[in-house]
Amino acid sequence: MTLPADLPVRVYQHLVLTGSAVLGGVLLGLPLGILSHRVASLRGPVLWSAGILQTIPSLALLALLLIATNSMGFLPAWIALTLYALLPIVRNTVTGLDGVPAGTVEAARGVGMTNAQRLVRVELPLALPVIVAGIRTAAIISVGIATLAAYIAAGGLGVFIFRGISLRNYGLIFAGAIPAAALALVVDGAIWSGEWASRPVRTLQPAWDRILRPLALIPMILLLAPLAIEGGMRLSRSRPDVVIGSKEFSEQLLLGEILAQTIEENTDLRVRREFGLGGTMICHAALVNGEIDIYPEYTGTGYLNVLQIQSKGPLETEKVYKTVKEQYQKKFDVDWLGPFGFANTYALAVRQKDAQKYHWTCVSDLKGRAGKMTAGFPGEFMERADGYPGLSRTYGFSFGKAEDISPDLMYEVLQRGDVDVIAAFSTDGRLEAYHLRVLKDDRNYWPPYDAAPLVRRDTLQKYPQLETALGKLAGKIDAATMQRLNYQVAGEQRPIQDVAREFLRAEGIIPAED
Amino acid sequence: MIELKNLTKSFDQGQTRAVDGLNLRIRTGEITVLLGSSGCGKTTTLKMINRLIEPTGGEITLEGENILRQSPVALRRKIGYVFQGIGLFPHMTVSRNVEVVPRLLGWRRAKRRARARELLDMVGLAPNDYAQRHPRELSGGQQQRVGVARALAADPAYLLMDEPFGALDAVTRDSLQKELLQLQRRLSKTIVFVTHDIFEAVTLADRIAVLHDGRLEQVGAPKEILTAPESDFVRELVEKPTRQLQTFQEART
Ligand SMILES: Nc1ncnc2c1ncn2[C@@H]1O[C@H](COP(=O)(O)OP(=O)(O)OP(=O)(O)O)[C@@H](O)[C@H]1O
Ligand SMILES: [Mg+2]
Repeated sequence: MTLPADLPVRVYQHLVLTGSAVLGGVLLGLPLGILSHRVASLRGPVLWSAGILQTIPSLALLALLLIATNSMGFLPAWIALTLYALLPIVRNTVTGLDGVPAGTVEAARGVGMTNAQRLVRVELPLALPVIVAGIRTAAIISVGIATLAAYIAAGGLGVFIFRGISLRNYGLIFAGAIPAAALALVVDGAIWSGEWASRPVRTLQPAWDRILRPLALIPMILLLAPLAIEGGMRLSRSRPDVVIGSKEFSEQLLLGEILAQTIEENTDLRVRREFGLGGTMICHAALVNGEIDIYPEYTGTGYLNVLQIQSKGPLETEKVYKTVKEQYQKKFDVDWLGPFGFANTYALAVRQKDAQKYHWTCVSDLKGRAGKMTAGFPGEFMERADGYPGLSRTYGFSFGKAEDISPDLMYEVLQRGDVDVIAAFSTDGRLEAYHLRVLKDDRNYWPPYDAAPLVRRDTLQKYPQLETALGKLAGKIDAATMQRLNYQVAGEQRPIQDVAREFLRAEGIIPAED
Repeated sequence: MIELKNLTKSFDQGQTRAVDGLNLRIRTGEITVLLGSSGCGKTTTLKMINRLIEPTGGEITLEGENILRQSPVALRRKIGYVFQGIGLFPHMTVSRNVEVVPRLLGWRRAKRRARARELLDMVGLAPNDYAQRHPRELSGGQQQRVGVARALAADPAYLLMDEPFGALDAVTRDSLQKELLQLQRRLSKTIVFVTHDIFEAVTLADRIAVLHDGRLEQVGAPKEILTAPESDFVRELVEKPTRQLQTFQEART
């Protein structure tokens, strides 16, 4: 297996995230710990609050912060990780300070130290090993939880894990999980070794001590380097020109990559990829807030879910596109560029042999057996305006059981027989590969879902060359092509970059190999 | 001069009276020894003088000024204190321990170093061997000597010494007692010295204050205490060593 090309970048992002979170945890937790040690009445409440924070499920906290900070990426991820880092640091600071012998504290007062001098010169140095142990715990927690930060566009090694789940590619999952685990060990070791180097009392022969002490600081310095570099870069504002986002399933990852390569090869803009964001609302928020500049979206999704327009009766492709284009410009200052040329609608899919056995061709045919069937629906579908609740209202039946299921695993799960019906995407190559049958939406429940790039208008104004470059993609991907490309990625597990490049070259959108 | 006026300290909401109405004048340039058995309130008295413990009654004046009106930090920096439990800072080298107060007072590094070496020499710890060690690398007696050096470092006019030679063997103790006497004669410090050992008290004291259950039994020059004990407690205190000496001599013959 070859390692993903962006592994170094993701490790770097992961280190920046964890490093800044631990730093934040120390800057906040140390004073809180000191305060709780000195002011007995604060101790309970402080430790209790830090403990409560720790129990909030990580994804929920990320999502809450997303809303609270009204931004994506680094900021909410950093806040979440800092909050998680707090408890071990506060607790160990209190424990460490409590452990300083009373006689020593009294001696510090007795020789005439002020409170601050006593703290800095006597109590903190003596509590340091315990405090550092807390920082190590915090760092390990952070490395682990930082893998979830990819969900809100903060990057890091979690990108591979999410991407791997989407593509059903275990290699990619490992490419995220193994470096993350290794990183946790390395970070732990580095902090330990840094603490050893700063211990006042030597434990080795003086000669060895003199050599090893400076060396023991090196791992920490190396780990903090990304943080310093990132800080420097942020200060000097060297940001990529355009950031491209995508949702977390394979077609979106592929479309994102196609957009990215098209821009890279046709303009001299610098592109950053923030693929695999957790769902429509997160992508939308990221776009509107300027965390990303471009992402691929489907007209029907924009129409029903983002604009929340109540649909009455069948919707025409043209009309939906016109509506979302106008409304997005007006409400969000975002433009829908020319559609790619295919629609990816939701579609109920069943096993071919069941369809033959029960003579199913359209959704209404399921009514008789629906009560005995188990459905597998992506989480989003359970809630969306164009999802399950509306579906059962329109068709007048619901399924015996409906399970939440990853959009990228559901085809396989259906084929295996664990569920009987799924809400598939019509362009998914696996429908055919797994011998699944798509049922006709005979009551026109679903609107058209034409895929098109969404771009912020200010980005377009700043880089007018984007419109020309992306214009080359308009109408270039029909449903059959999309299905084929999807299958290459999700079925044959070929690298997204390769599939995208091959397609773009064949279409002459980017220059052929030289 | 340090003056204790009706000094009282009770713990546990008045249940234990560690110090009970103590009146005592500690004259400038003298060694005043607080003598008494374990638990009689010696340490408590000493700690009240540099405000590590606040009295529940009475007052202490230093050169006529109530110490409660002074900043505790400034007060402590001009009074050297040798702790009963030694109280060295375990994370600092011997030299750094001795330099603590000079550092707080903002002395130059070179001056601090030189001062620490001088004092270590004086308490019989060769600086080249000991300056860079940590307290845990010293014996109990050596640690006590570092404690004495630390108290002397900033050349304070007052010294409070809480059983500073308790962990030493008779020979070292004897030599350190001599050192202290010489030092005191040279620099004429005002010293409050706590001990429960009547021989040490007699050796060092210009005046002895005998404490019993937090109360002052008798105060006076060693000779007065030995020849004219004013209470049964003091008489017993003085006669006991004589009896012990007799037993010792009987055993030898
Ligand atoms: N923090 C405290 N709380 C309650 N009681 C205390 C406290 N400190 C001291 N005491 C009591 O006060 C009395 C005097 O204690 P102090 O430490 O002054 O004795 P001492 O004369 O120094 O004895 P030693 O020779 O054993 O050191 C003792 O009975 C002790 O139990
Ligand atoms: Mg005592």
